[in-house]
Amino acid sequence: MKEDCHLTTSLPLPAERDHIRPRIDLIVFMINLQSKYSLKDIEASLLHVDANFFLGKVCFLAIGAGRMNQISVETNVVLRLADRYCSPVLFCELECEKIRIATAQRLLQMLKICAGHLPGISALSFSSKIKNSIDD
Amino acid sequence: MAEKFAKTASLYSQDVSPTVSSTLLSSDIAREQLLEECEELWKQMEECQNKLTLEEIETVPGSDAKLLLLMKQVKSLTAELNLWQQRKPEIITTNPDVLVALGRDQLQKLDHELEMVLSTVQAKNKKLKQDLLREERWLEEQQQLIDCLNQTEEEISKEVVQFSEKRTFQELKSKMLKVKDYKDEILNALGEFLEEHFPLPEEDGTAKKKKHSSAKQDVQLITLHEILENLIHKIIKSPHDPYVTINASFWSPYIELLLRYGIALRHPEDPNRIRLENFHQ
Repeated sequence: MKEDCHLTTSLPLPAERDHIRPRIDLIVFMINLQSKYSLKDIEASLLHVDANFFLGKVCFLAIGAGRMNQISVETNVVLRLADRYCSPVLFCELECEKIRIATAQRLLQMLKICAGHLPGISALSFSSKIKNSIDD
Repeated sequence: MAEKFAKTASLYSQDVSPTVSSTLLSSDIAREQLLEECEELWKQMEECQNKLTLEEIETVPGSDAKLLLLMKQVKSLTAELNLWQQRKPEIITTNPDVLVALGRDQLQKLDHELEMVLSTVQAKNKKLKQDLLREERWLEEQQQLIDCLNQTEEEISKEVVQFSEKRTFQELKSKMLKVKDYKDEILNALGEFLEEHFPLPEEDGTAKKKKHSSAKQDVQLITLHEILENLIHKIIKSPHDPYVTINASFWSPYIELLLRYGIALRHPEDPNRIRLENFHQ
């Protein structure tokens, strides 16, 4: 399995390259808790995403929750957003290598499931299992 | 339609892993068979994929997002559930070599995963035991501390004496009595001392002296003891005016004695008045 990563600052993706774009298995929205504009951009981009992606193929990644005195977006705002779109949230600190590696591993595992590489687990069932544990 | 897609996807995902395919290099027939089956599945998937891409894009409005998505989730989950319920165990190929290799591969993976689980559980168990030990030790120490404190409390509470007004009063009374006794004792001692060493001048029996001193001895002399008593009395009772006027009943040599040794002081303006020195201040 070969993973490919496509970065972009906002959606929708430019339409002229639609025909050569590979299948998208997982969309990770990275929210920087230290900047208000990050959240606004993501909320605007979310409106361009096809509804079928939200059945387990979308994940929110909140960065910068470690420095509590510098965050301009509260964590429960992010949690509410994720709850509204029925998708899981991961928290990550980019400066700490261990957390970075662990989060990357989690995302890769999620990608495997979303691409269907794990038999018996579909993206939807996986995301609903994660969600239940968050709500608890 | 999504169900069919899911079905083919699940079948495709059980596909032969690279390790298995490498062991089958020798058996060409098996390989050919597998490749054919893969091609068929791939064609089915392409059909589904084409149908999917022709569907129009449905975006999620921000306001009703949760409701819409939850309803979609319900539909998809029920579809998946139906699929699982209808599913019967299917063998992807009837070729025994492939099946054996596949089975071995899966068992190895399972074995590996179970070993990981075992080691994790063992490590957790060890850590829990260490934690338990630590907590027990802490509990013991705290218990010892409690015992020690209880002991100290007992000892101190024994020494605490309940305050009783009556007893304080009694104590003060006894103190006062003691002080009074002492005062009487020393006054007696003083009196005896003065009597012995500073008596009043005796009246001379001879007539000669009587003629001379008869004028002087008209007044009854008072003892030094009495003089001192007067002085003490005056200074204690009226400290603002401690001066006593010298009268004829004071024998002058004794006055001189008192003045010379600093026991009494003259009034700065009036030579006839004396006072006791401030021994008590």
